[in-house]
Amino acid sequence: MAPVVALEPLTNAVLGLAAAVLMLAGLLLLQRSVVLLARARTSRREPILSRLVYDAVQASPIQPERLTRLGRFDREVVRSILLGLALDLRGETAEAISELYQHLGFLKRDLARIRSWRATVRAGAAADLGLIRAPQAVPALMTTVDDGDVRVRQAAVWALGQTGSPATLKGLLRLLGDRDLIVAHRAQEILAERGRELADGILAFAENTSSRSGRLAAIQLIGWLRITTGAHLLRTLIGDLDPEIRVKSVKAAAAIGDPGFLEVFHSCLEDSSWPVRCQAAKGLSLFGSPESIPRLSRALRDQHWWVRFYAATALAEAGPAGEAALSSALADTNANVRDMARYLLGRGQAVPVLP
Amino acid sequence: MIHPDLAGFLGWYSASILLFLFATNSYYLILTVAGFWRTVRVLQDVRRPDQRRLLRSPLTPPVSVLAPAFNEEANVVENVRSLLMLDYPLFEVVLINDGSRDRTLGRLVDAFDLRQSARSFERSLPCKTIRGIYESPTYPNLVVMDKVNGGKADALNAGLNLSLYPVFCAIDADSILEPDALLRLVRPFVDAPGVTIAAGGLVRVANGCDIHGGRVHAVQLPRRALPLIQIVEYLRAFLFGRMGWSAGNSLLVISGAFGLFEKRAALLAGGYATDSIGEDMELVVRMHRYRRERRQPYRIGFVPDPICWTEVPDNFRTLRRQRTRWHRGLIDTLIRHRAMIGRPRYGSVGMVSLPGFFVFEMLSPVVELSGYILLLVLWAMGALDASLAGTFFVLAIMYTVLVSTLAVLLEDIAFRRYPHVRDLGLLLGAAILENFGFRQLTVWWRVRAFWEYLRGDLTWGAMERRGVGSRVA
Repeated sequence: MAPVVALEPLTNAVLGLAAAVLMLAGLLLLQRSVVLLARARTSRREPILSRLVYDAVQASPIQPERLTRLGRFDREVVRSILLGLALDLRGETAEAISELYQHLGFLKRDLARIRSWRATVRAGAAADLGLIRAPQAVPALMTTVDDGDVRVRQAAVWALGQTGSPATLKGLLRLLGDRDLIVAHRAQEILAERGRELADGILAFAENTSSRSGRLAAIQLIGWLRITTGAHLLRTLIGDLDPEIRVKSVKAAAAIGDPGFLEVFHSCLEDSSWPVRCQAAKGLSLFGSPESIPRLSRALRDQHWWVRFYAATALAEAGPAGEAALSSALADTNANVRDMARYLLGRGQAVPVLP
Repeated sequence: MIHPDLAGFLGWYSASILLFLFATNSYYLILTVAGFWRTVRVLQDVRRPDQRRLLRSPLTPPVSVLAPAFNEEANVVENVRSLLMLDYPLFEVVLINDGSRDRTLGRLVDAFDLRQSARSFERSLPCKTIRGIYESPTYPNLVVMDKVNGGKADALNAGLNLSLYPVFCAIDADSILEPDALLRLVRPFVDAPGVTIAAGGLVRVANGCDIHGGRVHAVQLPRRALPLIQIVEYLRAFLFGRMGWSAGNSLLVISGAFGLFEKRAALLAGGYATDSIGEDMELVVRMHRYRRERRQPYRIGFVPDPICWTEVPDNFRTLRRQRTRWHRGLIDTLIRHRAMIGRPRYGSVGMVSLPGFFVFEMLSPVVELSGYILLLVLWAMGALDASLAGTFFVLAIMYTVLVSTLAVLLEDIAFRRYPHVRDLGLLLGAAILENFGFRQLTVWWRVRAFWEYLRGDLTWGAMERRGVGSRVA
């Protein structure tokens, strides 16, 4: 049989592949050796440098002189130690760390890195600036929030959340409706954590923004931060045509816990959207009011499981009268109603943790 | 003397096989490189404070962890304890006892003080009869469902019905999750809720590791060759292969051992198919199909740093059952969704990943086996050019070894989970060793899977496990 493939090119290909395998294996050993050496050196130097960092930070004012004379490798180790400490520390020690970071020139370097042409470098610099919480970085971070790369933007938003003052954080409000969902969520997380002082701004944003996602995020913030002054706005939004706005508004209203919402929630039990009915029943479970019992008993017949579940939970929370309503539901002709009543009455201490 | 036409055909056929093997290995090479590129990018985005942020964020969704269990009495208590200790803000563990014939349920009842509950739940998906639901006053986030045996897909559907939270994590009850695995895996759901509908985590081989108390305390390589070879295989196919597909939003497989799904998206797609042997892959493909047919934006991703440890077969009998089952599942899914293959409507899934799986995953064992048969035929006819055949064989091996070595190198750059230099040597040795016997056996088993599939065999076959919960192998 005449071979279609000649032997020589095949042999050459085998040799080429063997050479590539050997090269990769060599590269593997080389990179592992380099890493092991660096790690050994780091673990040798780390205790000494940590001691120097500790001494510098404990002195008042900080005394960085011994750290300024270090070589490049040691400086990198010191930087890593400072960032690690900054993650865990707050208060005066954190300020001292930030000052030391600045004194050693790392802050200046990060501020230069944040203008790098490589997005990963810019994102890394923004994250490090956030960790170190240096107020000097705020102007650069404010600009970086509008970077072209989404990873850099979200890192900058997070960093601003760590570093910025309430006035700076106000600038994040506009990002709630950002086109990049991930940036909007990062801003929302920051405001959920530190936005208590921005209650008025959040309310104004929820009322005036033209962005639907921004409005939804602001409504959630009203609930998470329990902005009681938002009750009036929520009442208006509960009547919105958009069911998702209504759901989020009812949820936020329940979180605020204003008894003035009782009637609103009663009418929401008749809403055409089941998530709205569900959130209204959930809200009523927080009030535990006997006034709600007739409506909740009706809601037990809802076609949607979650509405029935929260209506039954609300009845269980409404005291002896609610429990009596659940007991009478045990004899209901509807099996769904009976099942739910049996579960709520019999669950004892085994209460699932609810979303 | 061979007829010239036959000789021409055999020559042409051997060249085609060579070309196919070259294409298959190139396919893996491209996937490995793309997977590495994607891994680096994902890892760069993981910042120091990420875990704390996710723990505190009100946007982190509560998760229902669904763990189907069948005859798992040896490890079930320890594994549930390890699940209950996960670092996650709000989650429930739903263990589904799928008609175990041993004391799986009894051990759970004793260990967690379980009491029968009248818990009501929505029957969104059909499933076999539920015999009882048990809750614990001590562990409010644990619920155990006891049901008639119906297979893994049926158990997962039952668990989905019972679960309360908007995101669920499907795992194997005998796998071990790292404490922060769930928190790492949920990141895409926090970053893009409503868009991310599923995410897979990395499954690594637990054989050989120092494991006790439901935790992996030291990563070590197994002493036996069979699991060692599978480590290299897992790195190549599960880590970089899946990361590569994930880069183009065309990932087709999220391992049944560790995957996170948006509950609503899974319910809309119809839940797990109980008549499919590869229910994990089938669900993912169906979710792709559902979204693409409705032109809804979505993302199905793979996250390389959350880790689930699982025990791989360490004997040939169990390995054969596993591999034939995997291949039957692949064949079944590709045949069910054949209408998607080559259709631009399904984007990268229809045009790239499904055809890729069809040719390089499903058909490759058939082509490879035909190559071995060809060698035998030529030898029997006295027409075998030994030096050409030998070179041909070595070439195929060298290319596979190249891809495996690259996967080991890239793993070492990105994760470095195997701490000793000796481990690297062993992994490289396994990359070579797998080509002598192991590869040929898996080819044969995968070809046999076609026959079993045509016979309508939907059985899983018993998986013999030594148990990873409390031993140092």
